[in-house]
Amino acid sequence: MTRQEILNELKKVISPYTTNKEMLAQINEDTDLLKDLKINSANLVDIIIDAEAKYDIEIDYDEADKMMNVGSCIDVISEKIGQKQQ
Amino acid sequence: MLSTGNDIVSLNTINVTRTKQPNFYSKILTPTETALYKQSRFANTPFEVFVWLLWSIKESAFKFLQRIDTDILFTPVKFEVSEIQIPFGFNLTDFKPIELTGIGFDGIHTIKSTIKFDDLILYSNSSIYQEFISTVVNGVEDFSNTHWGVKQIDSDEVAFQSAEVRAFLIDNFKDNTSISIGKNPFGIPIILKDNIEQPIPVSLSHHEYYIAYSFQLPV
Repeated sequence: MTRQEILNELKKVISPYTTNKEMLAQINEDTDLLKDLKINSANLVDIIIDAEAKYDIEIDYDEADKMMNVGSCIDVISEKIGQKQQ
Repeated sequence: MLSTGNDIVSLNTINVTRTKQPNFYSKILTPTETALYKQSRFANTPFEVFVWLLWSIKESAFKFLQRIDTDILFTPVKFEVSEIQIPFGFNLTDFKPIELTGIGFDGIHTIKSTIKFDDLILYSNSSIYQEFISTVVNGVEDFSNTHWGVKQIDSDEVAFQSAEVRAFLIDNFKDNTSISIGKNPFGIPIILKDNIEQPIPVSLSHHEYYIAYSFQLPV
């Protein structure tokens, strides 16, 4: 998957947790999940669990703490998908 | 180390089924903390409430430390609740008042905990009702200079929550026309008087229909 394809899928994962749909439509790799999309921090674990299920990957603690903006989420997901394919 | 950190979790909105799944709660609790729940003193506390109590404690601890070290990242399992004290006969009750404020926690039935993060030790007080969990973290066990408040609000819109929690906090100050709440370059809230930052660390939180603040005055 390309980074753009992951980003498009990530939008769907994030969508239930943000009411800022206008910002969601315009997200890019610099978009911050908490500050820009106004996602409550209590939903961060939900996003990680949903991403794990969507991509059939497992994201551990050290990787999860990097997932604060869209670009770093794509980094982690992309790396995990790559490991799965090896 | 003068700082403060708080958090509020609305229990009406948590996903109970998901919270009980090991792949979910293992991202928040360490195995040692999961074992803490099995102690009989938690007999009246549902597991999902225990998980979100520890989340609230850890998030508050993170906010306390983030003010001091802005590079810190929030990994819940790196904050370990090593001790937890629950009042005898603890039961979840309804939150009857619309708002509650206080200075310190003497005479209030809170859950107290000790949190370890690397070599640091922090302390917390959590109030739990049927509707929400509200936690405040401090760097010492003495909370007598810790001001806090929780309030029920009418809308869960982010802009409304944000405005309401600021107004609720500002109500604490006598000459409040010159007080405002801003953010520092790292996005951390600060108290301003006549647009000058005050040396009073403050923490704000909101979740659904509940808002909370804490601020710490020097001893």
